[in-house]
Amino acid sequence: MNLMEKTIDKIDAEQRSVIYGLLSEVYMNEVSRDLLEQIKASGLLEIISESGSKELNLHFQGDINELTEELACEYSRLFIGPGKHISPHESVHHQLDGGDWGKLWGESTVAVQNFIKSTGMTYLDDFKGIPDHISVEFEFMKQLTLQEEEARKTQETEKINYYLSIEKRFLIEHIGCWVPGFCKKIIESSELLFYRDLALLTKSFIEFELKAITNE
Amino acid sequence: MTKDFNRRDFFRLGAVGAAALAIGKGFESKTLAGTVDFVKGGKDFSPKTGKEREMIASACWSCVTRDSMVGYVEDGRLVKLEGQPNSIRGRGKICSKGAAGINQLYDPDRILYPMKRVGKRGEGKWKRISWDDALTDLSGRLKKLRDDGHPEKFMFHYGRMKGSSSKIVKSVFLANYGTKTIGNHTSICEGAKWTAQELTWGKHYDNWDFDNTKYVLNFGSNCLEAHTNSIPAMQRLSSAIVDRKVKLVTFDVRISNTAAKSTEWVPIKPGTDNAVVLAMCNVVVEAGLYDKDFFKYLKITKNIDASFDEKISTLKEHLAQYTPAWAEKISGVPAAKIKTIALEFAKAKPACLISYRGAVAHEYGAETERSVQMLAAITGNIDNPGGRCLAVGPKWKYPKGPKNKPKAKALKVAHGFKGEIAYPSHGANHQVLKVIKDGKAGRPEIYMWYCYTPVYANGECQENIDILKDESLIPFSVCVNAYYDESAALADLILPNPSYLEWWDWEDMVSPDQIAEFYIRQPFVKPLGESRDFKDVVCELGERMGFPLGFSSAEEFVKLSCEKTPGVKEAGGFEYMKKHGVWHDSKAKPRFYSYKKAVKDGDLKKDGVILDESIGTYWNWHKSKAKTEAEAMEKGYTKTKNAYKGYVALKIGDEVFKGFKPDKLNKSGFFEIYSDLLELKGLSPLPRFYPNKEHENLKPNELILTTYKVAVHIHSRSTNCKWLTEIYHDNPAQINSATAAQLGIKTGDKIKVKSSIGEIITKANVTEGVVTGAIAISHHLGHWEYGRYASGKKAPLAGDNDPDLKLKTWDTYGVHPNWIIPNKPDPISGQQAWMDTVVSVTKA
Repeated sequence: MNLMEKTIDKIDAEQRSVIYGLLSEVYMNEVSRDLLEQIKASGLLEIISESGSKELNLHFQGDINELTEELACEYSRLFIGPGKHISPHESVHHQLDGGDWGKLWGESTVAVQNFIKSTGMTYLDDFKGIPDHISVEFEFMKQLTLQEEEARKTQETEKINYYLSIEKRFLIEHIGCWVPGFCKKIIESSELLFYRDLALLTKSFIEFELKAITNE
Repeated sequence: MTKDFNRRDFFRLGAVGAAALAIGKGFESKTLAGTVDFVKGGKDFSPKTGKEREMIASACWSCVTRDSMVGYVEDGRLVKLEGQPNSIRGRGKICSKGAAGINQLYDPDRILYPMKRVGKRGEGKWKRISWDDALTDLSGRLKKLRDDGHPEKFMFHYGRMKGSSSKIVKSVFLANYGTKTIGNHTSICEGAKWTAQELTWGKHYDNWDFDNTKYVLNFGSNCLEAHTNSIPAMQRLSSAIVDRKVKLVTFDVRISNTAAKSTEWVPIKPGTDNAVVLAMCNVVVEAGLYDKDFFKYLKITKNIDASFDEKISTLKEHLAQYTPAWAEKISGVPAAKIKTIALEFAKAKPACLISYRGAVAHEYGAETERSVQMLAAITGNIDNPGGRCLAVGPKWKYPKGPKNKPKAKALKVAHGFKGEIAYPSHGANHQVLKVIKDGKAGRPEIYMWYCYTPVYANGECQENIDILKDESLIPFSVCVNAYYDESAALADLILPNPSYLEWWDWEDMVSPDQIAEFYIRQPFVKPLGESRDFKDVVCELGERMGFPLGFSSAEEFVKLSCEKTPGVKEAGGFEYMKKHGVWHDSKAKPRFYSYKKAVKDGDLKKDGVILDESIGTYWNWHKSKAKTEAEAMEKGYTKTKNAYKGYVALKIGDEVFKGFKPDKLNKSGFFEIYSDLLELKGLSPLPRFYPNKEHENLKPNELILTTYKVAVHIHSRSTNCKWLTEIYHDNPAQINSATAAQLGIKTGDKIKVKSSIGEIITKANVTEGVVTGAIAISHHLGHWEYGRYASGKKAPLAGDNDPDLKLKTWDTYGVHPNWIIPNKPDPISGQQAWMDTVVSVTKA
């Protein structure tokens, strides 16, 4: 059976983990030439352009080196600065329990770090960023959904429920509280279709996830 | 305008990504941003508060493997133990016994205070006393013996004492006290194997290089359940079998889990492994599949200058009697099977030959191990990658204590009856009580035991009880233990030791990958109650008797050792080890072929070094008991007491090598298949088969009793662990269905198992998993003390502070087979012949 023809009731843990992984990677750094080529080859653009902007595909037809450079500049402008930018860290956007927010290394940074560590995961030595970077949160979800998928393969109900409960808590307590708003800001500020459509996709996906997981 | 993404889009997105991953195209970077991942250990968090738990690096002590491990402490309580992720030995893993170590710490039946007997010995009446009273009494008695010139009348007998514990107690305290009346437990373990290794290649411990092997041939080792280096070895063996499809062939009387996970289980009659091994040697030499190069280092004839051809023809001639057809009649293993496996083993280079108690815990078990060594040697699978290797462990430097030690004396009670055993190089400790009763070798006035249970762990439990109870044979007895076991119940004084989770040590178990690893044990919590580490106690005893040891605690000893030991010192010494628990030289290469190493010319010219030409061995006579060089020359290396201590090098022709360095016995530098030492004792110098006379002409209802260990228990020290005993608390006797049918026995039947010294009543478990003619009963169970989880019996002065006591689901405690197994030594090594007892089996 063709994968695409399968009845779509729900997306499974493996597919969710792929999407989280992809999102994690594209927000982590400027998109590399290799990744761009992979995105082009994978059919991903078609999916985005069907729902997002039809022009995206066209944009990607140009010279790959130029496109890489253009996207790198946009990434810096949007997420790093100099000047006004949209920091991809939770503590800048999320006011936790009426506490402080709007700054790096805030209360929610500590909360995210503790949350992640309490599940038996740790920050890799090579990671030099701040613990509540959007890519960290997405990669954390990727790992959880991967584990859920493994547990489903071996039919370990207790484990499946454990990972689902962690995913649910993290979506409700963290990702759901700030990522949709963060995406809205990118949609409003982006000058390149890629990041605008990526933000659209991200926002829709997280909203979909919140809805799906709260209905479990 | 754009529409919102919907479920269908996400499904496609996920599917596209997954498909791309599956065909290796697309997101080759595996869509990992590289920010977070699961930790491989070393961290843990409270599920209640989410707070990180305090991690402490330490080492296990459940079995002799002594895996490195880490534990987590929350609110002052040890809550979890797991493998040390940074250990090259254990690679982050421990076994069930290790994880259940917490039960040892919080056992509600633990002894927490010094206790003095107030009723008759063994009556169970005790008085709690202070440490000061206990040590005043003990040091007074010890000092008197020492002052009277009879320190040897203090006998110290231990079950497990390794690493720094051994150095502090034996090398420093007992040496300064002046007694060498010291017993251990090796003869009830694998003493035959060790003596045989000392007779062949010198050192007593072999490491099996599963990582590099192509074939594993196993005689009687249940190494996937209970090996002496279990977790390090078993995970490597598992990898070899599963990942590299290495063939594992296991000869065993019983389908252990190791046999079950082998490529092939070959059932064999009890005590006949040697016949099969000798026949395999025969097949190998007849097929010409020997390793010619290695023969250079082999002593096969009396004459060390024998040519290769002479060596081979000697072997062929000797082995001609041991044909596969002959071995089939003895072992029940088909001759064709013996031949096939022998050829496979010899052709698979490298191949690893492994053996343990199933093969050696018999009368003449040491001879079986000599044959095993011969098979490995003639096929060139000795100390090579993928073969059977000389063990590599860390060499700690440590404080040696006062310089002027007295000349220590010994009662000859730990090596069996005079003249009965050829080379009891690891003692015949299961016979200690018999020898004491006999009295000809003298009797200790104070008998102290540590981490040992003479009553339960040896054969002939009733005789052990009778002797320990008899104050005319043993005037004063002291038990050092954390638990009230069957032997503690017969002591006059009990000194409460903590569990190993509350004390300091450095450790030195060997590495499976031939690279030494240094590691320490440190306490997770302070000793509970008034329990005190015995190592700290001996420091105080030394002070009280006027010979301070030069350090005041085990912690100080470990600290000083860390600051002295090269490598550990540079890494950061004690502070580094406290934080990390383990250290190894990251640049070190695995050690193989150490016997081929050259020897510096200067080493041969040192004062006292002489050459014994008859055996090609350079040795320094100053280190032996010889008084003059002339005496040393005249007696020669083999016959001079302690000559092995002066071993320097092996001379073959004009070349000089490091050779196979001896330990404990005056073996030459050759790998000795031909043993001058055995010849001196009137035994066969070349490995031969000794039939067990008792096993010939058995009556119809007579079977051979064999014992074994299971994966979830330590030999005699774990049934107090509730997590383990919940899993395994009954041990019906395994009998083959054909044998059972002859005896009219069905599964669940009550049966009487009777030997020459007594009988036990147990239940039958009829199975195909044991050979016909044998009956298999595991160790571990059948305790009548050791607390509520082990026996249902509460220990004196025990607490009720464990809520799980109310949740205990079992009321069977199994049956101990040792009541009916005689304490009988192997004539070569002194090994207890555990697996030879002839029993009659009837319905009870």
